[in-house]
Amino acid sequence: MLLFDIVFNGNDTMYAEAEKAVNDAVAKYGEDKAVGFPDTAYTLACYYAETGTKITTLKEAKEALTYIKSIMKRDRRLDAAFNSGVATALSAELIEAMKYIDGQQPYEEPYLGHMTDAQIRELGVPLVTGDIPGIAVIINAAPTVEEACALVKSYQAQGNFVCLVGGIIEQLKEAGYKTGFNVRVFPIGENISSVCHAVSAACRTAMIFGNITPGDKKALQEYTFNRFRAFVNAFGPLDEKTVACGAGAIYYGFPVITNDMDYTPVVPKSLIKQPKVEEFNATSLEARDIKIKITNIDIPVAFASAFEGEIIRRKDMQVEFDGSRVDCAELVQTCEMTEIEDHKITVVGPDVDAMELGSKNSIAYVVKVAGKNMQPDFEPVIERKFHNYINCIEGVYHTGQRDMQRIRISIDAFNAGFRLKHIGEVLYAQVKNEFEAVVDKCEVVIYTDPAECSKIRHEVAIPIFNKRDDRLATLTDESVSVYYSCILCQAFSPSHVCVVTPERLGLCGAVSWLDAKATHQLDPNGPCQEITKERPIDENLGAYEDVDEAVQKYSQGALEHVTLYSIMQDPMTSCGCFECICGIEPFSNGVVIANREYAGMTPLGMTFPEMASMTGGGVQTPGFMGHGKHFIGSKKFMKAEGGIERIVWMPKELKEFVADRLNATAKELYGIDNFTDMIGDESVAEDPETLVAFLTEKGHPALSLEPMM
Amino acid sequence: MSEFKLTTVEEFEAATNRLLETGAKVGADAWQIRVKNQTPHCKFGESGVCCRICSMGPCRITPKAPRGICGCDVHGIVGRNYLRFTAGGSATHSDHGREIAHTLHEAAADGNYKVKDPDKLMRLAAEFGVETEGRDIYDIAHEVAEVGLMEYGKPFGTLTFTKRAPEHTQEIWDREEIRPRAIDREVSCSLHMTHMGCSSQPEALIRQSLRSGLSDGWGGSMMGTEFSDVLFGTPKEVETEANLGVMVEENVNIVVHGHDPSLSEMICEYADSKEMIDYAKSMGAQGITVSGVCCTSNEVAMRRGIPMAGNFLQQENVVLTGACEAIVVDVQCIFPALGPLSKCFHTKFITTSPVAQMPDSDFIRFNAKTAGENAKAIVKMAIENFKNRNKDLVYIPQMKQKAVVGYSVEQIEKKLDTVTNTHVDVTGTMMPLVDCVKSGVLRGAVAMVGCNNPKIRPDAAHIELMKKLIANDVILVVSGCSAQAAAKAGLMDKRARELCGAGLKRVCELVDIPPVLHMGSCVDISRMMVLASRIAKDSGWNISQIPLVGCAPEWMSEKAVSIGNYVVATGIDTYLGVEPYAYGSSEVDGLLKGGLTDWVEACYTVEQDIEKLGDLMIDKIEEKRAALGI
Repeated sequence: MLLFDIVFNGNDTMYAEAEKAVNDAVAKYGEDKAVGFPDTAYTLACYYAETGTKITTLKEAKEALTYIKSIMKRDRRLDAAFNSGVATALSAELIEAMKYIDGQQPYEEPYLGHMTDAQIRELGVPLVTGDIPGIAVIINAAPTVEEACALVKSYQAQGNFVCLVGGIIEQLKEAGYKTGFNVRVFPIGENISSVCHAVSAACRTAMIFGNITPGDKKALQEYTFNRFRAFVNAFGPLDEKTVACGAGAIYYGFPVITNDMDYTPVVPKSLIKQPKVEEFNATSLEARDIKIKITNIDIPVAFASAFEGEIIRRKDMQVEFDGSRVDCAELVQTCEMTEIEDHKITVVGPDVDAMELGSKNSIAYVVKVAGKNMQPDFEPVIERKFHNYINCIEGVYHTGQRDMQRIRISIDAFNAGFRLKHIGEVLYAQVKNEFEAVVDKCEVVIYTDPAECSKIRHEVAIPIFNKRDDRLATLTDESVSVYYSCILCQAFSPSHVCVVTPERLGLCGAVSWLDAKATHQLDPNGPCQEITKERPIDENLGAYEDVDEAVQKYSQGALEHVTLYSIMQDPMTSCGCFECICGIEPFSNGVVIANREYAGMTPLGMTFPEMASMTGGGVQTPGFMGHGKHFIGSKKFMKAEGGIERIVWMPKELKEFVADRLNATAKELYGIDNFTDMIGDESVAEDPETLVAFLTEKGHPALSLEPMM
Repeated sequence: MSEFKLTTVEEFEAATNRLLETGAKVGADAWQIRVKNQTPHCKFGESGVCCRICSMGPCRITPKAPRGICGCDVHGIVGRNYLRFTAGGSATHSDHGREIAHTLHEAAADGNYKVKDPDKLMRLAAEFGVETEGRDIYDIAHEVAEVGLMEYGKPFGTLTFTKRAPEHTQEIWDREEIRPRAIDREVSCSLHMTHMGCSSQPEALIRQSLRSGLSDGWGGSMMGTEFSDVLFGTPKEVETEANLGVMVEENVNIVVHGHDPSLSEMICEYADSKEMIDYAKSMGAQGITVSGVCCTSNEVAMRRGIPMAGNFLQQENVVLTGACEAIVVDVQCIFPALGPLSKCFHTKFITTSPVAQMPDSDFIRFNAKTAGENAKAIVKMAIENFKNRNKDLVYIPQMKQKAVVGYSVEQIEKKLDTVTNTHVDVTGTMMPLVDCVKSGVLRGAVAMVGCNNPKIRPDAAHIELMKKLIANDVILVVSGCSAQAAAKAGLMDKRARELCGAGLKRVCELVDIPPVLHMGSCVDISRMMVLASRIAKDSGWNISQIPLVGCAPEWMSEKAVSIGNYVVATGIDTYLGVEPYAYGSSEVDGLLKGGLTDWVEACYTVEQDIEKLGDLMIDKIEEKRAALGI
């Protein structure tokens, strides 16, 4: 049979199933029944992205069927096959949506089904930075369980995000393979229709980060084709519905690699037959032009960003190191070139095999670096990456920083031969890799001897940390002569520009002024460029001609004016991967802040995803602004509108996270003690009336401020 | 970047009309005027029934006079005329090839001409059985040239290049006794067969027309292409621009026109030298712009990115800009009208070849030994002419499009390699293209070639057909004036992918090519023969089974008929927009438009309705697909 005919048949079948699902639902619930996926502001995102129409009721779902039918053309042209592929995905989305009606939870572990907006936003930064080089969608069972595990592991080890559909999920389960969003292995569902959740992620990425107008089919296709580095691995035998979904994938730019050798033709870079499962990985990456940054580190376990979210539970733990209980420290020290022997790794004290199973121990590691362009200002920048580096080791878990870090090494990793010197190998390799422009030589000393650790912590590390804090305290927007632009996100969000100042870190929370400075130093033509601040327009607003010129230049004219300190007048734009979003709350003259992790409702009547969908993609929406968590305690936080005293509500967890700095700033600016106690949270109110009553009771300063609008 | 938009034929015509106003001011003649004077055309001539081969005639066949004085019937007369027309074209291309072979024979390490593509020379040496081991590259070049030259008059055997064709094609040629012998022999034999009192059987005459055509496409033209590549480099992807707007008012404008790249290559070389640019500046110009017309233009565009000022029916427009210091010509397709026209302006009309000598021109005889001096003298003459410009007459229509050109078979292969996957595919084949066709992503391909002809609205047929075909996922390979029409319209801009069907658009995106691929000049149709052979070999199909057709919607020259014959004889169905002078004989017409299929698995279709011509080609492509079961 001709390829196009297979696609047409598969499309017909999927459409018929969608029609039945919708009709059955209408018969059961009536046409007015609400339809939608949980925790998303984009309802049925594929349909919304393709058509610009939000499906919210079963009546609208029925109308969608008419539209889908209308694009199911049957000419012998690729256009018809592509459209049928899209129609198949849209039909699948309807089928899946019917499963979620009435708050049903159709998927149980390991199946996860729909991906939330918050999860997609969380993927934003790593997708941008290339930490997630690609997205693999694997469909059907592999020939053997071993091959299934090996393939998933191969992608995971490179940091790719893996979505699974069909039989492979059971195979992983059978093998006891760890899955979940946090380890970047996302089992979607058993049926091929569930693949629409992966398509939905691509469509939402385009709307969230790419500012693609829903309904602009052409822009959507160009975005996914050029920027969303997904690909499909489909194990044979392929049925017609899967091939039809494949046509949709190829339309969006995602090549399909299959071991089904019976299926007729191949299409270069699009539909590739690869009989050897062990070569799926390399074949797929080449087909999608995905380059993997090679970090060949000589350790007995895998090292990849996919393991960053891995959690080691106590029962799986060989040993742990805990800075909150015993003396620990992690430190970067700038040395003279002659003082350092490159790649020397020393362990002072007992190694893991000399420690008791499940014991708590001391650790202090000092990474000595030297280089002609090295500056002490870069030390904390490098040091802050340790968390990421150590966490990327398979079977090793790291939290905290400075002298409060906690590390766990799993039994599996220990049994695989993992020892302390391997932490040194990882730190050495990564520091040399990522900071090659400033670090010429690097040496690592790891102390586990408790006395040595105490000495390092109290006599070396803490004095250095204190000195740094003093220096950071003097780093204000006024005290520096340049700010930095950051366009790291432009691969994803082509018209967004961040302006990073000492008191306002990038909205992703990942780029501080020092980071930006270091990035500029590392790559002078790279994503961070100096912005002078010689021509102020209005210092209270944080408006500068220099800043405007820079954002115009780096947004290719999409943006004209940006202020640094206002959320009402030309607020800074967002790419979409912000940690927090604040939005104006009119009843209290204040603002509400929600963080990405918060899943509940806010007094604005919007969830985080809904608030987040108001901005992002490089557009300015006065009254809404994305920002980093640390910006909340800044004296510059919406300074133009009066500053932090405008904050009236935050989720409890976020409030606790920022309390110390926020209280200190409030004390300094307004003389208010314990300001965070005046701020509402979800335990106080999820609606404006209750919130205002609470604020009135607490005497919150925002109530007496000028209205913001 | 400004919004991409095609230039329309209406816009071309508006620009031409504005230039004709300048012409009227200075009393210049123009082809538009001469066409009127020559219309209606002689029907006896057009239908091919007029015989003036001996002095008993001329004889013209009518219902009342069904035979000539010698007794030859209409089929014999039409067949003879058709064969002579073919021989004229075959001789022309082949003699062009011979000139290049002589130039290669003159190549020297310290000479005017050098070997620029030694790899290609080595491949040719192997093909020709020339020893290469331990030899100086120029010794090899000279012997390869000599072996090539011997192909023109080899007493025995058949042409070496025909072995490049797939087995099946070669079997057909042998079975039908049309595998060409020596190149010149087929031309001579054609003239012999058509002499008074020789062949009058249409089958024999048409069979020889095919053989004479093949001696061009798989002989003389192929020689021209291959040796030009050795001397001047095998074309690679290069950016250029097209249409009159490439001429620069502030600069000395030199326009090269004709077909043989030997002269134009030298002109480009010298015009680009600091010495000449300084000299131009000293004469009040800001620099020197070389642009081209016709196939000389295609040659230098493909290899150097020299801009294309226009195609065949635009040659007078170049002079009408009033900004052309010199139009330098070599051979073929040059209007004698340029002589008198140049006298209406300051333009120097410089002829250079003993083959193409014309009144009202400055003749600077060009030859390989003195090429450098000749070219320098010509460039100097143009520079010195800058001051004679009548500024009041200067008007350059500001109309041009970007084009990416240079798609030799070698370059196409390299581009296709970029979409292979090293884990499953081999490189260096046409398989990616074949796979796209097999899967239906591409429906097929059209090789569109040929001239302009006032009988067809100039460029309109080329451009409209191309637009229709690319919208239907049919990829185009083009050459000659057809290529220039495409470039002028903007169809060689990579952004033209937006005008394609989803399949061709995706192919253009992945391979990073425009939808219309410029393969070169008219001798470079030989490249298309090699391409078709490569596709046949890689796919396992016969050439005639490939969803591929040829098309010359605006053809006019004898060369075009010769080309048509070798394209058809290679197994590629060919679609024309202008009748050959053959419809006066039902037998000859029947053979050309159908009977040939029994011999060579392909034939001609002539359709003057361009819309229909496009539909017919798409239908044929779909028919071939259905037959292959794809």
